[in-house]
Order: sequence, then C-alpha cells, then structure tokens
Amino acid sequence: MNGWTGRILRVNLTTKTHRIETFSEEFARKWIGGRGFAAKILFDELAPGVDPLGPDNKFIVALGPIAGIPAPNTGKAVVAGKSPSTGGYGDGNLGTRVAEQLRKAGYDVLIVEGRAAEPTMLYIEDDKVEHLPAGEIWGRGTYVANDWIYAKYGKGAGVLNIGQAGENLVRYAVVRSLEGRAGGRTGMGAVMGSKLLKAIVVKGTKPIPQADPAGMKKIGYEDLREVNRIDKKTGWSIQSTNGVLAWCNEVAALPVHNFRKTHHPDAWKVDGERLNDARIATYGCPNCTMRCGITIHDDEGRESELDYENVALLGPNLDIFDLAPMASLNYLCDDYGVDTMSGGCVMSFYADAVENGAAPGDIRFGDAEGFKKLLTAIALRQTKIGDLLAEGSMRAARAFGRGSIDYAMQVKGLEVAAYNCKFIPGMALAFGVSPIGAHHKESWVITFELKQSARESYGPEKARKVIELQRIRGGLFEFIVSCRFPWVENGWPLEHYPKYFKLVSGLDWSLDDFWTVADRIYSVIKLFWLREFPQTDRRLDYPPAVWFDPANADTEGPIAGQHLEYDKYDGLLQHYYDQRGYDRRGIPTKATLERLGLAGEGRAAEAYGKLT
Amino acid sequence: MRVTVKLIGPFVQLFGFSEKALDVPEGTTADGLIGLAGVDRSRPKIVTRNGRAVAPDEALADGDRVAVSPIYSGG
Ligand code: SF4
Repeated sequence: MNGWTGRILRVNLTTKTHRIETFSEEFARKWIGGRGFAAKILFDELAPGVDPLGPDNKFIVALGPIAGIPAPNTGKAVVAGKSPSTGGYGDGNLGTRVAEQLRKAGYDVLIVEGRAAEPTMLYIEDDKVEHLPAGEIWGRGTYVANDWIYAKYGKGAGVLNIGQAGENLVRYAVVRSLEGRAGGRTGMGAVMGSKLLKAIVVKGTKPIPQADPAGMKKIGYEDLREVNRIDKKTGWSIQSTNGVLAWCNEVAALPVHNFRKTHHPDAWKVDGERLNDARIATYGCPNCTMRCGITIHDDEGRESELDYENVALLGPNLDIFDLAPMASLNYLCDDYGVDTMSGGCVMSFYADAVENGAAPGDIRFGDAEGFKKLLTAIALRQTKIGDLLAEGSMRAARAFGRGSIDYAMQVKGLEVAAYNCKFIPGMALAFGVSPIGAHHKESWVITFELKQSARESYGPEKARKVIELQRIRGGLFEFIVSCRFPWVENGWPLEHYPKYFKLVSGLDWSLDDFWTVADRIYSVIKLFWLREFPQTDRRLDYPPAVWFDPANADTEGPIAGQHLEYDKYDGLLQHYYDQRGYDRRGIPTKATLERLGLAGEGRAAEAYGKLT
Repeated sequence: MRVTVKLIGPFVQLFGFSEKALDVPEGTTADGLIGLAGVDRSRPKIVTRNGRAVAPDEALADGDRVAVSPIYSGG
C-alpha cells in the first residue's frame, strides 16, 4: 500500500511479547495517520474509565504518510494515550528521528501495552523487538539518559525518553527527544513512566513505500531549499517563536503574574531580540530548514533551548524578567521531562494561591531560586506541596479550595498556553474547544481577531476562524504529521500537502477531502470524551473564570477595564457548536456522525452517553 | 507631533532599529509613519496603535505608540 507501511507494531510490556498487525486501505484513507490513527485506535481499544496511569492505558506513537520523508518539516511524531491530566483523549507531537526510523523499520504505528516488571528500554530494529533493562538510567534526567543511549546505539538512532517527572507520574510529564524537543504535554511522559518504560530506541533499514519515490525525493528536497529561502527573506527564524513576545506585550496578550496582568514594562528583557543576542547555538528537528531552537546559557552555564511558550510562562508569568534564571527553569523542565507550559502555569498558580492566602508556603513571584526548588520538588514529588502540584493546577486548586480554581489557568485539566485571553474572545474559544484541553496548537486566532474582525466581537466569524484553523493545525498537520511552522509562520502554501500526499500515496485528494478527515478525527475525540464523561456539559468548554472577572480587568493599557463576558462567550460557543454540527453539550449530533462516516462509533459511544 | 515606532520580531533586524521616537507632521497616518520610519511597505504586517489594531489611513496623535509586526500565527 503506497503511502503507508500498512503495519502496526503492538508490544506488550507485561508479557514481553509483540505482534505485527496490518491495517486496511480503508482504515488508512479514513484516518490518514498520526492523530487520526491514535484517536481511532484509542477509541476502539480503551475501555471507558481506564486508569490513565494504569497498565490498561496504551501509549501510542503514530506517524503519517509523509512522516520521515525528506520534505518540509516532516521529522515529527505524534505520541498519544488517555491523558493523566484531563482523563480524556491526550496527545502531542515532537520532533524526533523516530519518525523516520520507525517508518523505515516498517511501521506507521507503535502501540505499547501493559506494564514492565522493571525499568525497561524498548529497542526496535526492523522486525526485532527487545525489552532491555533500563535500571542504569532510571532516576536520571533526559540528557544523561539520551547520552547513555547514543553511546550504545549511535546518534543515528531515533530515541524517545522520559525524565524523573515521567517516572514519578507527574501528570504533565512530557516525552523527550533530543533530536527535536518535547511533546505530549497531556502527560504522555507519565503514561510511559507508569509502564516503567524509560526509553524507546528505533532503527530501521527498509524503504518507505511511496507511489513516486523519485518524484517525492526531487520535490521534497527542492521544497526544503525553497522553505529555507523564504525563511531567510521573512527573517522568521532570527527570533523564531519568541519574536511574538514583544507583540503580545504591545497588544496586552502576554501572561504576567499568573495571567493577572497582560503586559509589563520589563518584558523587553526576555524578548526575541534579547534571546537572539544571547544565542549560543541553533537546533532543529529532522528535515527542517527553518530551524527554530535557540539555545542560550542559563545562570549555571548550561545550554538551554528556548521558545516563546517556555520564555513567557517560566519568565513573565512568574514575574521573572531575566533570561538566564528563566533559562535555568527551562533546563530543569527539559531535564526532568516536565512540560514547560504546564510547569510554568502550575507554579504561577501556586504563587498566586499563596499570595491570596489559599495555599500554605512562602513562594513569591519573581523568586527564581524559589521556583527552581519548587520545580525540583514537583518533578521528584519531594515535598507535600511538590507532590500536590505534580497533580496539576486543577487538582491542586480543588485541594486548596477558597475559590482558587478560578485562577488555576487550565481547561479540562490542561494548563493554557502563553496567550492571555483576558480580552481576546476568539482565542479564549480556541482554548475552550481544543480537543485535548487548553492548547494553542489546535487554533490560534489573535491576529485575525485584531486585524480582520474586532477584538470585542463574539460573532460567528470567530467561530468560523477557529474551525478553519482547527482543520489545518489540529487536523492536517497532526494526521499527515509534519510541523505546521512553514505554513504558520512563513506562508508555505497548504496546496503543497495534497501534492506530497499524492506523491507518496498516489491518491489525488483536495484540501476539502482533508478537512473531512479532520472533522472526523475531532468528532471521534469528542466521542472519547463523552464516554469518559457521560454527564458532559458545555461548561467543560469554558476558559478559566478569572478572565471573566471584572475585578481582574487591567487598570491601564490597551484593554483597561475590559474582560470576557459569560453570556457573550456562551453565544460564541454556540456559534462554534452550530457550525460544527454539535449539540448544546458540544457533542456531535447523530446526523453529523452519519455524515462523517462515524455511525458505528456513535453507536459504540451511545452505550455510555446519550447522543442527540 | 512626536510618536514612537516599535518594530517587532525580525523587522528589528531587517529594518535596522528596534524602537524610535519620530517628529512627524500633524495628520500623519499609520501608513505614512511606516514609510517615514523606513519600513518596507510591501511586507505583510499588522500595525497597532497603543495596542489596538489601526487602519492604514487612520491619523495619529501626539504621543502615540505604533507597533509594526509580521503577521504572527501563534507558533
Ligand atoms: S520549525 Fe522548529 S519545530 Fe518546526 S520542524 Fe523546524 S525546528 Fe522543529
């Protein structure tokens, strides 16, 4: 089957066995790959109510038809499972050589089941699968563990691993790959840790089946050069993602002091200019010609790789306006394998709770040394507070009480990314309806809201824009599996993707065909949530309460006195549901499921939760 | 009147300054200011005035802060 290897590797850690399975062409066309494969497999195979940190959860690595093939930014893999932070469907993507190596080993999907008896490293080389002891690197950070693995297998191997946070089941532990960065902020590192799976190492030697390999090779390399040329012209990678920090500060969208403030006079000290000035090296994922990883020295002389989300959430959001100590926090997150975004939000929430008398402790905003200690306590679950905060801001807020849930910056248990939506209704909606909890990867509408709509509008055009971007960002790029940045930041036309798809699969698809797949995937994820939360309610799609609080409105600056309004937000949410074909709870209607070819999945979900 | 221009992201490196105050004639528009500041008008961009989006033909006032940014799409 061109475009896919057609094979799934299923490994059981409990029994130390594995099986190679095949999938049909129909399955491939219906779900394409990556998130599509992961969502469908998890929907079919996980019984509702399964403990995300128990042996019955599954850890999935899923690739798409262009993953690993040289073409713009295809060195990405999707990792997925039931999320320990939300209890719903969870996934994430990360740059890694595993994308190429797993496909060359002959698989589009790896499913890991069960729980090992001892710390384990899974070694996959073509049809060979070995369960190797990983006791030597258990308890060690991701950098040491990676070096140990590279020393054994060489730098050409694809590696996924976890740090102490994953081992200690921190609910927002990520999966790391030093060939890229980190992914699976929905707690996929903890899912690996719960299985005592320290690392996955993959080597492959087979060709990836393609309809026109020579054509793909020619166009793939040409396009990689072209993306590089465009990037040089736009200059995007000079400051990379952190270029947006200064803009967020201008337009009152920067998280400062646990999102209480939207801008700060010292923000320039950690902006893209300063980051570029402090740069010591540049890194990129495999198959990337617009490399965005900027490293600087932290205040202990270590090399720390930064992007906007971690700068904003570990910097201004904690009232730290100095790159070096902020880079230290980032280094610790990366080494322990803690998600930088959730890590930043959980710590800012705790400092806010202390400030408000809702939580015990003496942490203060701006205290970088205090936050370093706190982060260590979280990753190692060392203290009572560290242990509680390892559960995430939603669960910690429930323990603290005193209304602290209102300023726990999360949706469905996943902390929000670094965009302060105090008065950005469409982006608040994007966080609210993201299918994995608050994440910016699904949809990002702020420039649209400022430039083409009106910031204060709660009109249907914003719901339409959120859906358009979900189809592209949360759909296409997550199921074809490649980095969205060439299109997102450098305007690389979307029309290239059906072209690549045709070269590898021989199928002549339009972008509209892709949007149908994207809608299907979002709907099956919704059914997954319905099964887990049968009493589901539209309030699950509400952003944090503090954004609606008049007392929290800015007192000066571009949005002084303004805040989100509940009735208007609810109207915007309804526009979204109506346009998507969802009912008033935000669940796809039977007619929508029928249209998307999901009648069978609908019937399976109906045993647990009502459909309309 | 005196207004401040703030460039964002790679515009800083591409147009050679980060932020500067300019004395401009009364009635200068947002678009006019971009020209006066030496920013390539053909670049896709989003322009804000005191943190809110501004139309190209909107006249500026003394003390305004105008930020000129590439159209970021949120990573
Ligand atoms: S643009 Fe950045 S995230 Fe995307 S593939 Fe390149 S280095 Fe990785």
